Amino acid sequence: MKILREPLLHFILLGAVIFAVYGFVTRHRTDKPGEIVVTQGALENIITGFTRTWQRPPTEEELRGQIREYIREEAAYREALAMGLDRDDTIVRRRLRQKLEFLSDDLATRVEPTDADLQTFLQAHPDLFQSEPLFYFRQVYLNPQQHAANLAADEARLLAELQRSGPNADLSSLGDPFLLAPSFQNVSLAEVKQVFGEQFASALAALPTSHWQGPVTSGYGAHFVFLSQRTERSVPALSEIRDQVRREWFDAKRNEATEKFYQALLKRYTVKIELPEEKRVAQAR
Amino acid sequence: MKINNFVIRMGVLLALVIALWVPAQVLAQEPAPSEQELENVFPKKAPYSPAADRKFPERVYWGDTHLHTAISLDAGAAGCRLGPREAYRFAKGEQITASSGQQVKLSRPLDFLVVSDHSDNMGFITDLSAGKPEMLADPTGRRWYDMMQNGHGAQAALEIVGSFAQGKFPTALVYAPGTQGYRSTWETIIKAAEEANAPGRFTAFIGYEWTSLAAGNNLHRNVIFRDDASKASQVEPYTTTPPYGSNNPRDLWKWMAAYEQKTGGEVLAIAHNGNLSNGTMFPLIESFTGKPIDREYAEQRAHWERLYETTQIKGDGETHPFLSPNDEFANYERWDKGNLDMSQAKKPEMLQYEYTRAALRNGLKLEQELGVNPYKFGLVGSTDSHTALSTADEDNFFGKATPYEPSPTRADHAFMKGAGGTVMSWEQTASGYVGVWATENTREALFDAMQRKETYATTGPRMVVRFFGGWDFETGDAASRSPAVIGYSKGVPMGGDLSNAPAGKSPTFLVAALKDPIGANLDRIQIIKGWLDAKGDTHEKVYDVVWAGDRKPDSKSGKLPPVGDTVDVPNATYTNTIGASELIKVWKDPEFDASQRAFYYVRVLEIPTPRWTAYDAKYFGIKMPPEVPMKGQERAYTSPIWYTPAK
Repeated sequence: MKILREPLLHFILLGAVIFAVYGFVTRHRTDKPGEIVVTQGALENIITGFTRTWQRPPTEEELRGQIREYIREEAAYREALAMGLDRDDTIVRRRLRQKLEFLSDDLATRVEPTDADLQTFLQAHPDLFQSEPLFYFRQVYLNPQQHAANLAADEARLLAELQRSGPNADLSSLGDPFLLAPSFQNVSLAEVKQVFGEQFASALAALPTSHWQGPVTSGYGAHFVFLSQRTERSVPALSEIRDQVRREWFDAKRNEATEKFYQALLKRYTVKIELPEEKRVAQAR
Repeated sequence: MKINNFVIRMGVLLALVIALWVPAQVLAQEPAPSEQELENVFPKKAPYSPAADRKFPERVYWGDTHLHTAISLDAGAAGCRLGPREAYRFAKGEQITASSGQQVKLSRPLDFLVVSDHSDNMGFITDLSAGKPEMLADPTGRRWYDMMQNGHGAQAALEIVGSFAQGKFPTALVYAPGTQGYRSTWETIIKAAEEANAPGRFTAFIGYEWTSLAAGNNLHRNVIFRDDASKASQVEPYTTTPPYGSNNPRDLWKWMAAYEQKTGGEVLAIAHNGNLSNGTMFPLIESFTGKPIDREYAEQRAHWERLYETTQIKGDGETHPFLSPNDEFANYERWDKGNLDMSQAKKPEMLQYEYTRAALRNGLKLEQELGVNPYKFGLVGSTDSHTALSTADEDNFFGKATPYEPSPTRADHAFMKGAGGTVMSWEQTASGYVGVWATENTREALFDAMQRKETYATTGPRMVVRFFGGWDFETGDAASRSPAVIGYSKGVPMGGDLSNAPAGKSPTFLVAALKDPIGANLDRIQIIKGWLDAKGDTHEKVYDVVWAGDRKPDSKSGKLPPVGDTVDVPNATYTNTIGASELIKVWKDPEFDASQRAFYYVRVLEIPTPRWTAYDAKYFGIKMPPEVPMKGQERAYTSPIWYTPAK
C-alpha cells in the first residue's frame, strides 16, 4: 500500500498512537466512530494524575469536572485530527519529532555499562575526567587607585613586611580593604578564575610555593600571595568518579544511537531537494 | 528492568532516609532554620583568630533560576534542540553546539542552575524495554527485548517505530490506559538535575515554571525544590490548565503546601515579568475576585514568594520613569508597551502594580492595613532564556529563543506584535543573573540563603555586593580588611530586618561593591529608600552613597554628574580608565523617623559599556537602525533591608 509510506501519515499515526499509549486517551481501537468511551483505565489515569499533583484523591465534584474536560478534549482532539489541523503545524511537527527522539533515545540506552566498558571509556577520554588543580593560598590586596604615584614604593614596602612576617603574617591591617577573603583553601582553578579572573588564575598556576610574592595582577589591582600548596592535574581512578564516567558514557551512547537511528530511518526514504532559485539563498560570509 | 530497579532503589533510599531521619528528629528536635539562626551562630565574644568559627557566607554563588530547554513546548517549537542535560553542561562551563549550530561557551561557569521548563506532562513509552511478562510472551516483543539487552537498542527502536507506522504493532503489547507505560517529562527533568548536581562544586536544582497567563497578563512563577528526586518525584508539577491546574497563584500556594505537608520537603516560588502583567503582578485588588487582597493572601504570598525576579531578557523591572520621575537611572531596558501577548496596551495607572520599587512601597502600606506585608521580597535576576543556554553577557548573548541566537538579522524585526503595539527584537535585554550569599554550594545552603533573601540581582556582570544594616556602623568600619566580619557581627545582611530603634539613633549601613573581575569598573553605589508616612502615603528617595573619582554633587539639584563614557560603539569596546574597581562606605539615613516603616536597598551602577546590539553590529558588519540603543550602564540590585517600628 503506497499510502503507508507517506511520511505525513506516519506522523499522524505516530502522534495518535503515542498519545494513546501514554494514557491520556482511551483505546481508539475499541471506540466506534462517534463514540467516546471513558474507560476505567482512563479514569484511573485521571485520578492518579490528580493524586500525584495534589497529594490526595479528587472529590466527586472534582472528578466530574475532570471527566467533563477529558471528554471535551477527546472530542476536540479527534475533530482536529480529522480536519488535518496537525498538518503543516510547526509546533506539532517539532513536538512529534521530539517525542520520537525521546523514544529512540530511551530504548537505545537501557543497558547498564560494565566496569570494563567504563574503564575503556575513561582511558579513551582522559581529558573529560581530569581533575582540576587545587590551591591553598593567602593574599593581600593593594588598590592602585589609592596609591597612584607611590604604588611601586608601597608595593615594595608591603612585600618586605610580608616576607619578614612569614607564612602566618597577621593580615588584619595590611594592604587595602578588600571584599574578598584573605585566605583560600582547597579552591579549584575554575573557582580562582571565577573569583579573581583569568589573569590571576594563570599566574597562580605558575607561582612557586611557600613564600610571599607579588605583585600578582588581577582585574582588581595588585595582590601579594603566599601559595602554601598546589595539587597538580590528574585523572582519578574509575572507582572515584564512576558516576561521572557513567554519565559521559551514556551521553556518548545516546549521541551514537541518535545518529544510527536517523541513518537507518532515512534508508526508508528517497530524499529529493528542490533547490530554490540562486538569488534567494543568502551568501555565507 | 530499569524502572523496577529504580523503584526498588528509591524505596530503599526512602526507607533509609526515614530510618535515619526519624531518630534524629526525636533526639535533636531540630527547628526549621530561621533568620535568627544566622545571627545566633556568632558567639558573644569572637575567637581571636578572625577565620575561626566563621560560618557566614564568604563567597557569592552565581546562578540562573529561570531557564527553558527543548522540553518546554514553546522552546521546542521555536527550534531549541537542547535538553536539560545540555543546559547543565553549558552552565558548568562546557563548550557546546547551540541549536543554531554555533559553538558557544560561557566566559566562566555558573555555580548553580534551575532548569524551569513548562511542565505539561509530555510522556513517552518506556515499558517496552522493561521486560514485562506480556511483552516477553510475544515473539516480536521478545526479540525487541533481546535486541535492547544486547546493545542494539537503536535498531529495536527503529523496528518499533516502523511497526507502529504500519499498524503492525503486536496487540499484546498495546497498553491499556492507566498502566504506567509512560514516563512523564517531569521524571526526565528530575533525572537530569540529579545527574548534574555535584554538591560543593555545582548545584542543579529541580524546578519548573508555572506559566499562569490570565487574559494575556503574565503571572508566571518558577517553583524551586530544596529536595532531591526522592521527594520531588512524588508529585507532578502544578499546571495552569483546568481541571488539574489553575491560573490563580492562591491555588499554586495550596499545591506548594500540599507538597510540603506530604513529603516533608521544601519549595519556593519566584514570580517574574510584572512589567508584562498589566497591573496584576503586585495587586491591591485581586484580579481574580475584584476584591482587595486580604490578610490570608498577604500571609500566603509572603510565605511562599520571598524572592522576585526583577531583571531578565524581557526587560528590567526595578522601576519606571513614570513611577520614579526623579531617578535619572530609572529608564533602563524598559518593556512597557503591553502585556505578555500584547493583546492589551499598557496604561500608566497599571505601572505601580508591576515594578519592584513600587511594590515594595505598596507592601509597606498593606502591612500597615493587614498586619502582614505581602510584598516583602528579595531580588534575583535570571535569563528566562528558551535556548537551554543561560547567557546574560552583552558580548556573548544567545537571545530569548533559538531564532534569536546570533545572526545578522536577529535584531531587526518585530519580536511581539498586537493591540498593545510592537516590541522589536533589538529590545531583548541581555540580563540577568543572581548572586547568592550562601555558606556552601549545595541545594540546601543555596535554598536557605534564598529563603532568607540574602541575594542580589544583576543585569549580567558578576560584581560582588555586600550590604549590611545596623545601628552601630562607624565610618572606620569601611576601612576594615574584612568588611564582611564587621558586617555580620554588627548588623544584618541584605534581606534582613531592623526594628526597635535605639532612642535617638538612625540606621547605619555598611555597603561595598567590587567590580566583576573581568568586567567594567563601577560608577557609584546608591541606596534607595522607600517609606510610609504618618498619613499613609509612600515615598521614595535615591541617595548617591559613594562614587568613583572626585565628582561633586550639583549644589542645586543634588545630582552627581555622570561618570563619563569610554564606549567606542563601532568597535564595541570600552576602557576601564574611568570608574573604580571597588567602592565601600558607611552610610547613615539622614532623614530617619523611627515611627515610619521603611525599606532600603542598594543599586550599584557600572560605567557605560557596549550593549549586545553593538557587539552584533561589529561582528556582522551591519548597521542598526538609529533608535537602537548601543550602550548602557549595567547594574546590581540587592534585596532590601526593612525597618519596622516596634509596636
